[in-house]
Amino acid sequence: MTLIKVKDFYKIYQMGLTEVRALNGVTMEIQENEYLAIMGQSGSGKSTLMNLIGCLDTPTSGDYYLDGVNVALMSDDELAMIRNKQIGFVFQTFNLLPKSSALRNVELPLIYSGIYSKEERMKMALIAIEKVGLGDRMHHKPNELSGGQRQRVAIARALVNNPAIILADEPTGNLDSKTGVEIMSLFDELHKIGHTIILVTHEDEIAKHAHRTIHLVDGKISKDENIK
Amino acid sequence: MYFFLENLRISITELWGNKTRSFLTAIGIVIGIVAVTLMSTLITGVDNLFDKSMSFLGRDVVYVEKYPWIMGDDYWLMRNRPQIDLEMASKIKAQSNYALVVAKERGRNGDVTYGKQSAESIFVHGVSTNYPLVSPIEIADGRFFTESENRARSQVLVLGYEVAENLFPNENPIGKEVFLRSHRFRVIGILKKMGKLMGAFSLDTQVILPVDSYEKIFRTQWGMRRISIKVPESEMDNAIEELTGVIRVLRGLKPSEKTNFAINQQKAFEQQYSMIKMAIGGTGLVITIMSLIVGGIGIANIMFVTVKERTREIGVRKALGARRNIILGQFLMESVMITGAGGVGGLLIASILSYVINAFVFPAQMSFAVGFMAIALSTFVGVVAGWTPARKAADLDPIEALRYE
Ligand SMILES: Nc1ncnc2c1ncn2[C@@H]1O[C@H](COP(=O)(O)OP(=O)(O)OP(=O)(O)O)[C@@H](O)[C@H]1O
Ligand SMILES: [Mg+2]
Repeated sequence: MTLIKVKDFYKIYQMGLTEVRALNGVTMEIQENEYLAIMGQSGSGKSTLMNLIGCLDTPTSGDYYLDGVNVALMSDDELAMIRNKQIGFVFQTFNLLPKSSALRNVELPLIYSGIYSKEERMKMALIAIEKVGLGDRMHHKPNELSGGQRQRVAIARALVNNPAIILADEPTGNLDSKTGVEIMSLFDELHKIGHTIILVTHEDEIAKHAHRTIHLVDGKISKDENIK
Repeated sequence: MYFFLENLRISITELWGNKTRSFLTAIGIVIGIVAVTLMSTLITGVDNLFDKSMSFLGRDVVYVEKYPWIMGDDYWLMRNRPQIDLEMASKIKAQSNYALVVAKERGRNGDVTYGKQSAESIFVHGVSTNYPLVSPIEIADGRFFTESENRARSQVLVLGYEVAENLFPNENPIGKEVFLRSHRFRVIGILKKMGKLMGAFSLDTQVILPVDSYEKIFRTQWGMRRISIKVPESEMDNAIEELTGVIRVLRGLKPSEKTNFAINQQKAFEQQYSMIKMAIGGTGLVITIMSLIVGGIGIANIMFVTVKERTREIGVRKALGARRNIILGQFLMESVMITGAGGVGGLLIASILSYVINAFVFPAQMSFAVGFMAIALSTFVGVVAGWTPARKAADLDPIEALRYE
């Protein structure tokens, strides 16, 4: 079943007299439970595309159907609901709240999805944080954690609400290869239990975990291949 | 409610994390709230004082005197007025339809001694026998003098409460002889404790004697002299008009001549008091409004800074599904917490000051309603000041906010 349908996506930034075409006509479909890697050089538009898929940003032009619904017609609050319930986003720069503990960071999406019972939220956050193997660090603040540990917190936060789609922008970008492998096995597992995984990477090793790769060059898809 | 509690938690953490800043920001509100609560406390205090003081004068008594109680620069025009002739009293009583009681009063300061004890510079008050009918004095012990004692110019007197205490610490004064201006007077009564009039002039430090006896020993024209007239309270204005006419005739004034005496009444003080109240209220209101505006602007400013500083946090929250109103509520809450804390602090300071005023200056209590109003007012300022910054936060574009450095 088609989960994501993107048609003629353009994202154009007007920088004074010059315009930057971050996305220059992207059309693609992503099926349920796909495992997709988006590749391309720095500045090719990978993050831009991810932000659009994640309903964080709006395209300059183009249509986006998420689960059959036209995203352009949704209100800001409806988009917030989508981001909260359907999409788990792992940012390139983590974006954890610096003053809150790991557990509290993971709890955050649950607060906004209106799970009123603190106990319930804590239970769910604990399960998520243990899934990424950080049970013993949950009371640490982000600046008391290593890069890999922060990445795990970010992943735990993305999956705590059990979203259908998990978007990860360079989830191993800042990590050594051993930690990278550990993080990737987490995504493999999430894929296995039914999540749709879309991740951005420029490393072939990482891309090999995915079942399909899309290559972006200057905001356009240059190659779209199934590898498994 | 649930998001309310959640926002409350965030606000407390944030404000606690910026204690100094939060504190400094709240000062304007503290001053505003102190001003407004203290103002209303003072006004109720003045009200109480007014009511209490006025009971000494009596609402249904008018006083014929040389000068009006409240006068401006026209003192110089009045100083050549003739003295009040107390002998008019019986004629006034006879000719006025409104005068129920007409009493004579004279008075000046003097010393009273008993053995080695002396009461210096107390008010020596010569009055007619009917004086108790125009005054709230009450006899605690003994009796007031009689008309025959007055006519006989008997040397008898009634002691004010404090004078009695001072001259006779361990004795019963009744029947004892004291000296007033080297004249021997016999004590026949003691007054009940009256308290102070407007915190200054005390009715307890006086001695009362028959007015004829007074005139026997003080021959000068100097000192207080007035005719106190009790009239029906509901007919006050008519009574004053009639009395003015009666006295003008008694003084032989022609219609073209100006009235050369004053008929005073408590109402004159009421006007004076409402002016004092307005002055307190006006000053308090100006200080309140100014400091709340300045404080509110300060808070709005700080909230703008806070929103700017926390742009990324706002971006994260929105990316994770925080709806617009939740972000709005979060920052409104923070602003209201600052002003609310300022309000509570101000209220606390104001209650301490009220307590001090109550203990040392005059009776004044802060009312519950005023406290409630102060909190409501500071909350209101918080909402107004925080509104625009909170809206700015709520309207941030998630991706712009996340990218903000
Ligand atoms: N807010 C913006 N304003 C102007 N230009 C932008 C903005 N965001 C992105 N761009 C431009 O769009 C292009 C694509 O950016 P994007 O972040 O999508 O690249 P990327 O493929 O994720 O690169 P990287 O691998 O370095 O993360 C870049 O040329 C970038 O300069
Ligand atoms: Mg990128």
